[in-house]
Amino acid sequence: MNYRDKPDLQDRLAAEYVLGTLRGPARSRFQAWMREDAAIARAVREWEERLTPMAAALPEVRPPRRVWRGIESRIATPNRGPEAKRGLWESLGFWRGWGLVTSGLAAALVVAVATQKPEVVEVVRTVEVVRTAEVPSTKMQPSYVAMLEDAKGGMKVMTYAARQSDELWFRVEGMEHKAGHSYELWGLPAKPGEAPTSLGVLPARETGTIKLAAAADQALSGFPQLAISIEPEGGSKTGLPTGPVVAKGESMKFW
Amino acid sequence: MDAATNDRLKELLAACARRDQTAFARLYETTSAKLFSVAVRILRREDWAEEVLQDCYVSIWNNAQGYAPALSAPMTWMTSIVRNRCLDWLRRPRLEVTLEAGEGDEDPLEAIPSDAPGPLEQLSSSADARAIANCLGRLEPKQRQAVMLAFYDGMTHSELASHLREPLGTVKTWIRRGLERLKGCLEGT
Repeated sequence: MNYRDKPDLQDRLAAEYVLGTLRGPARSRFQAWMREDAAIARAVREWEERLTPMAAALPEVRPPRRVWRGIESRIATPNRGPEAKRGLWESLGFWRGWGLVTSGLAAALVVAVATQKPEVVEVVRTVEVVRTAEVPSTKMQPSYVAMLEDAKGGMKVMTYAARQSDELWFRVEGMEHKAGHSYELWGLPAKPGEAPTSLGVLPARETGTIKLAAAADQALSGFPQLAISIEPEGGSKTGLPTGPVVAKGESMKFW
Repeated sequence: MDAATNDRLKELLAACARRDQTAFARLYETTSAKLFSVAVRILRREDWAEEVLQDCYVSIWNNAQGYAPALSAPMTWMTSIVRNRCLDWLRRPRLEVTLEAGEGDEDPLEAIPSDAPGPLEQLSSSADARAIANCLGRLEPKQRQAVMLAFYDGMTHSELASHLREPLGTVKTWIRRGLERLKGCLEGT
């Protein structure tokens, strides 16, 4: 359709675009015209001035505090690895995407993140693994999520536990189970001198669940980090890690 | 919104363009409840609205330098960002809708009260919206209803047609004529 020399048509399209009834491929096409044609952009601005005051009729709804926390973490100066990583960790969209298992969303995520720091891309690779797994829920609940990695990034473990549940779901990548040994999961307390607490032994499978001693809200809340050590079969006999720590990572509480 | 608030928001946006995070926090405090209501209404799901709102404020922060106070009022600029993001959001593949089908038992369309007189009355009580409220009041009832459902609830032509139980062509005409008359009315006032 030739719209360039038809100001009436331009104005009508601008009106329907602002109202919201211009949808589908027509909406995308119009957005492209708008970017390259100043007259159309002006028509859109004028319609926005006309119609947007209608929004004043809606009663205000205060968003939950977590929205602001998410925004704050995303606008933090993104020039260092760990900070950029935390931004992704705290983004609602990132975790909802994880719960939704839509390949489209995951692809969008990879594109969005590939333009950032290389440290972050590492995280996405891990998520790709989980994306294909049977995730614990189609909708993220208030939960604890941890991502553990070894120093080289070769081995990765992801854990998830709903706050009210004593079941912790896990998935591992790049970890070999050897006869005579077990991998044991530990909660690391915030204070350096305090002893780790065993959360359970991971079954020799790629994915599964372990039973926590109590609901995640009690069992996991005291541990900002989780770690995995190699122990004798069935777990440490002393109640403390005895073998080398092979993976470690932050445990985050969502909601 | 009165002129003083408008000026204040312009100052806050200018400060955001200078990367002043305190100003950005104030801007959020002042405007987020209004913008969230817009998103919740169109998306009808608070979790989606939270996600969209988060993206929009990040985008407002990143694009504050591009805001031209001479061209649009601050609230218009921000509300348009939110509405556009919501409408784009509704175009995504809707896998999760199928996943969660059966969760809410009410028909979302039944929960929509825009055909009630409420919004129009409320609009007249807000100073900057009086002109549009006045002009909406002069539309034929069917035109007004169609325009309001499209604006507040993000309904497409075909959603409007099935909600109002009218042929698609009729609904399109109401919208087109309604918009023409609104423009004429607003330019006359």
